[in-house]
Amino acid sequence: MNNTPWYQEPVTDEGEILSSRVRLARNIKKYPFRLKLTQQDAAAMVEEAAESVTPGGKYFRRVDIGNFSETEQKVFMEKHIVSPEFLGGNLPKGLLISDDQNISVMLNEEDHVRIQSVKPGDDLNRAFETASQIDDLIEERVEFAFDTEYGYLTACLTNTGTGLRASYMVHLPCLSRVGANISSHSFSNFGKFGVAIRGIYGEGTAPMGSIYQISNQNTLGKSESDIIAGLKSVTQNVISQERCERQKLLSANRRHLEDIVYRAYGILANCRLISASEAMNLLSDIRLGCISALSDMPRLQKQIYQIMMEIQPAHLQRTHGENLNEMQRDMIRADYLRGIFA
Amino acid sequence: MLCQKCNTNAASVHMQQFMNGQKVELHLCQDCAFKAESSDILFSLENIFKSLMDHVNPQYLPPGGAVNKQRPSSLPVKACSRCGMTFRKFKTGGGRLGCDACYKSFAVEVEVLLRTMQGSTRHEGKYPRRTGAGILSRRQVSDLRGKLKNAVELEDFEEAARLRDEIRALDKSTEVQP
Repeated sequence: MNNTPWYQEPVTDEGEILSSRVRLARNIKKYPFRLKLTQQDAAAMVEEAAESVTPGGKYFRRVDIGNFSETEQKVFMEKHIVSPEFLGGNLPKGLLISDDQNISVMLNEEDHVRIQSVKPGDDLNRAFETASQIDDLIEERVEFAFDTEYGYLTACLTNTGTGLRASYMVHLPCLSRVGANISSHSFSNFGKFGVAIRGIYGEGTAPMGSIYQISNQNTLGKSESDIIAGLKSVTQNVISQERCERQKLLSANRRHLEDIVYRAYGILANCRLISASEAMNLLSDIRLGCISALSDMPRLQKQIYQIMMEIQPAHLQRTHGENLNEMQRDMIRADYLRGIFA
Repeated sequence: MLCQKCNTNAASVHMQQFMNGQKVELHLCQDCAFKAESSDILFSLENIFKSLMDHVNPQYLPPGGAVNKQRPSSLPVKACSRCGMTFRKFKTGGGRLGCDACYKSFAVEVEVLLRTMQGSTRHEGKYPRRTGAGILSRRQVSDLRGKLKNAVELEDFEEAARLRDEIRALDKSTEVQP
């Protein structure tokens, strides 16, 4: 088995699609949903579900998230292994992670079971297949809340039916340059396709480094493969708009685009203090240079997206100490980036 | 998709509004949408929503605000038979249900909400592999019964006989299931 997390796959900074992610929401029939779970029931549910994911302790590593420091918990979030919602709350919860970190199962998030599978690049179908296999594996041991008409029953009606949230993480540097604020402007009519576009960490998060999540909104009335096909076609459309803007930029003012990219390179190679958001934007500009196949681009040992994750606050705190203040973080971040780009 | 008002014509007019941060969609046919402009369909639909959701977009309020504002306290104090969740609490407390039985306890409200939020009330996706086999054939049987009824009404007896055999075969296979 390949043990590489998706963001460490061989460097491919050429495509707009960074990763394909699928999440399945399930609840175990014999327990009430999280809102009505007692401490005792929650603990029992987590044990039962964990045992059904890892029969005999195989396939997955069980992570006792409660024993981790706040910073370490946030690292899981910055890596997209857990959702922000999962880290809150006082009820017992469980987390199972595959060796390559590309599959995770959150127990007692908004629903009892949240299976997540991620693949590098444009690979939603395989991401779904994997999640679906884990779904079947768990279902061999437990009975899920399921209704003939409504499908899988979830705590929130926005997930009822398939319980499927499929999403692409995309890098759209040119569209965000022209649109300034993608989420509220150019794509406000996305809703009519049953698709939402959000910031890098999903619901309620701001876009950073021109990275967005495009995901399906409706979970009922369509099969999983139709939902995925619909999302795919909307995303392809967005990508062709991005390419169109890039072509415009390249043909109208190539020198301007080069200036953006090499200026970013210059700052990253020389900065002494840098905030996460500035660094994200500059890394996005570098990636724009890679996508546009400019000559003389730095040869990087890592995917730009991996660098983007490693400069997030919790990642820095984990490697350099929990009590860093903002200034110290900006310093360490600058040193780290110079190490890569200088 | 069928018009949500008359349930016969295909919906061709689609409207959206935001409520509680949730997008609510209306799908109407040309006729109903036209009537809606002059009559009260939007407002009667609005009343349905209003009994479910508190925050109504001001543009949907009728002129002069003639419709009574339904306060949470006037919502039916219906409680779920399994977990004790009330519909009022569901509505005011973040829109999360308490258990799978809530779907039955608040059947009418849930159906309207699903139709407006999801645009559908019928699962077309995956079934649980182990426990779902029986459910799947029961649903197939009920679908086939509907088709059989249609075939009989249309006096297409050849098709009706074929459907009857299919139902029998499925019925048999469900019986074998534990």
